[in-house]
Amino acid sequence: MKIKAIILLVAVVMVSAFAKAQKTMDTFEVQVDGLGCPFCAYGLEKKFKEFKGIKKVAIDIETGDFSFQYPSEKNLTMQAVVKQVEKAGYTPITSKITRADGTIEANEANTTELSAESVVVTQQVLVAGKCGMCEARIINAAGSIPGVTAAAWKQNQQMMKVTYDKSQVTLDGIQSEIARIGHDTKAHKATDEAYADLPGCCKYERLDQ
Amino acid sequence: MKQYIIILLTAMLIVSCQEKKQTETRWVHTKTIALADVNPIGIAQGEKGIWLSDGDRNRVVLIDKSGVILKTIDSLDRPMHIASEGQMLVIPQYGNDEVLRFRESEKEIVRTWDSLDAPAGVAINVTEMAIADFYNNRIHYTVNSSDWITFGKEGKEDGDFYYPTDVHITESNIWVADAYNNRLQVFDKKGNHLKTIGEDQKMNAATGIFVSDTNAYSTDFENDRVLVFDLEGSLKQVLDADISKPTDLIIIDEVLYVTNYKGKSLSLYTQQEVEISSQEGHDTHNAHHDHEDHKD
Repeated sequence: MKIKAIILLVAVVMVSAFAKAQKTMDTFEVQVDGLGCPFCAYGLEKKFKEFKGIKKVAIDIETGDFSFQYPSEKNLTMQAVVKQVEKAGYTPITSKITRADGTIEANEANTTELSAESVVVTQQVLVAGKCGMCEARIINAAGSIPGVTAAAWKQNQQMMKVTYDKSQVTLDGIQSEIARIGHDTKAHKATDEAYADLPGCCKYERLDQ
Repeated sequence: MKQYIIILLTAMLIVSCQEKKQTETRWVHTKTIALADVNPIGIAQGEKGIWLSDGDRNRVVLIDKSGVILKTIDSLDRPMHIASEGQMLVIPQYGNDEVLRFRESEKEIVRTWDSLDAPAGVAINVTEMAIADFYNNRIHYTVNSSDWITFGKEGKEDGDFYYPTDVHITESNIWVADAYNNRLQVFDKKGNHLKTIGEDQKMNAATGIFVSDTNAYSTDFENDRVLVFDLEGSLKQVLDADISKPTDLIIIDEVLYVTNYKGKSLSLYTQQEVEISSQEGHDTHNAHHDHEDHKD
């Protein structure tokens, strides 16, 4: 009877310790587009292994969903996560942290708000790129510009379709921002430095301007 | 009579203008082996089947000719371009920077002089071994498993690399899939650069390489192609039938096997005599596409 009581007590302690450990982990979910290449995807995973204590790393190459758990006492920030994703050569589209206490921090791609003065138009413009990673970078950059409500880019057409509020931003301004991240556009050419910073698989043929 | 002569001359003209047919030996797609739950990255010949690395599932599997898994080596950490020699199987693990040498049930870690950062490919040739060191942009090579040389650095010039993913050792040289420089490079066994191949082919990630006595083969990952070069670097043929995100290839018993990472399959090609036009036959500058598809 005494032995049984001890076993029961140990089990209760272990379960409660396990439950406590579970509660003290923050959950990170990052969506990264263009993870079609296993070398790139595993590279992203590998760079996050540099965070000591990381657990339950999961990566779905098909969807670009990347998630992991990290001890909440280390208070890993969204900024650090985004920086590490970029270090691996990617641009996160969205990221979300669910803290152990239930608090949610989200970094959504688009925050543009329209008003009565808004004049929303959709236009297409030439943007040079090469692969799925280029697509993610271009869409993310365009989507984060105040005034842009939607953006899409097709590799085979080299055209970006962008919907924006003319009262907040111009097409020229959008192209300038896209060039700033390394992609030549019809109106603005990326600097050689920005182009050089692109990952190897994104080295597209420069536009003649 | 005059009309008959005109008709005769016209007929002779038409016959003489018709293209003469001739044949040429080319790789032709003959079969695709579907793999149920394997996203193959590397491929190597086994004594009882074909070894495939399945990085997504952290394992290497041995399959038979119909794709059935006969054996599994699991608990690996992102195994990539594997290599074999008889009973020995060498597995580079991208995730934990270790290269494992398996012989039957025994395994040991390959010791190099420098630390690795994401070994992506390995090649062996009797006692020789070469390793593609992805994030360090270097190649490590040994003739005896104890004395190593290392060559390469990040860059775009000849002899530089931008994320090498695979290697192949021939009798005289070391061939490298310089993946994100989108080219192949050839070195002697002291690490001296000899040749760069395929830079003009607009490859997008030259992820895998195989070299035969006459040709060098490269997978072109993003473009869903395999490029066939002669050993001087001239493009001979483009294979694109039933290829989906290819990562590696090998020739076993005169059959070319291509691993389709995304397609979860192996595409098999064999050499066949193909009828070509006389004009095509004389055009040595244009490579030939294998649009003949004989999928089983």
